[in-house]
Amino acid sequence: MMDCKEVGMALFLFFDNEMEEELLAPFRDHVSQCGHCAKRMAYTRKLLVIVREKCVRCSAPDRLRHRILTSLPHRGTVPGPY
Amino acid sequence: MPFVDALYNTAYRMTRNSEDAEDLVQETYLKAYRYYDKFEEGTNFKAWLFKIMKNTFINNYRKKQQAPTLSDFAEIEESFENQVSEDATRQTKNPEEELLENVLDEDVQGALDKLPPDYRMVVILADLEGFSYKEIADILEVPVGTVMSRLYRGRRLLEHAMLDFARDHGYLREGEPAKMRSKSVSK
Repeated sequence: MMDCKEVGMALFLFFDNEMEEELLAPFRDHVSQCGHCAKRMAYTRKLLVIVREKCVRCSAPDRLRHRILTSLPHRGTVPGPY
Repeated sequence: MPFVDALYNTAYRMTRNSEDAEDLVQETYLKAYRYYDKFEEGTNFKAWLFKIMKNTFINNYRKKQQAPTLSDFAEIEESFENQVSEDATRQTKNPEEELLENVLDEDVQGALDKLPPDYRMVVILADLEGFSYKEIADILEVPVGTVMSRLYRGRRLLEHAMLDFARDHGYLREGEPAKMRSKSVSK
């Protein structure tokens, strides 16, 4: 069984899918029985959703793609994954 | 062109201007092209590109001396366990879940901009680019424990900055005079 302190430490690991297999069940058990930790978990989930979704991501400008392509040295065949 | 958007986004968040970001991405591709024979087929190519970009970024900043070097934060690095237990003892109130509702897109981006480079980098790699702890450790060439510690601290700093912004919105909406604070952003 995990205690509140251990669960607090493990929250980010859980949402990052980095928690070890054998800890998942004790983690879930504790959260289902502890109102304080359940609340912390809901808060953490919300926080991460906001960070991940509200940071608007833009595409690289076309001029950059063009710059890169024209600056790479040309040979018969282009090596690598390009 | 593999991963150019991801590289550009990260470069932009780290340099905070599009010109430097474009230069950084271009330099990264040139180096990747030049040193492609050093890349191990079958390993994580995206992480390899990001590692090149990270090192290029650090070298450029050292030369320009524009910002604190990334290694400045090594000395104040706390272990992951210490940071979490510090937080646990300090926390008397429940987290303000309702306040999170008021956070706007620009609040998150503003808060991210305020993070010191070391913390900003891990948050970007984890939350915007979806790298695993192991991949981030590989890119930054630090132990996984350091990744966890910086990510924990970076997210907490981000959280506090975001809540500050959200509180400012709240005050303005209710018709109260906006509280004068040195770190509040004037609109």
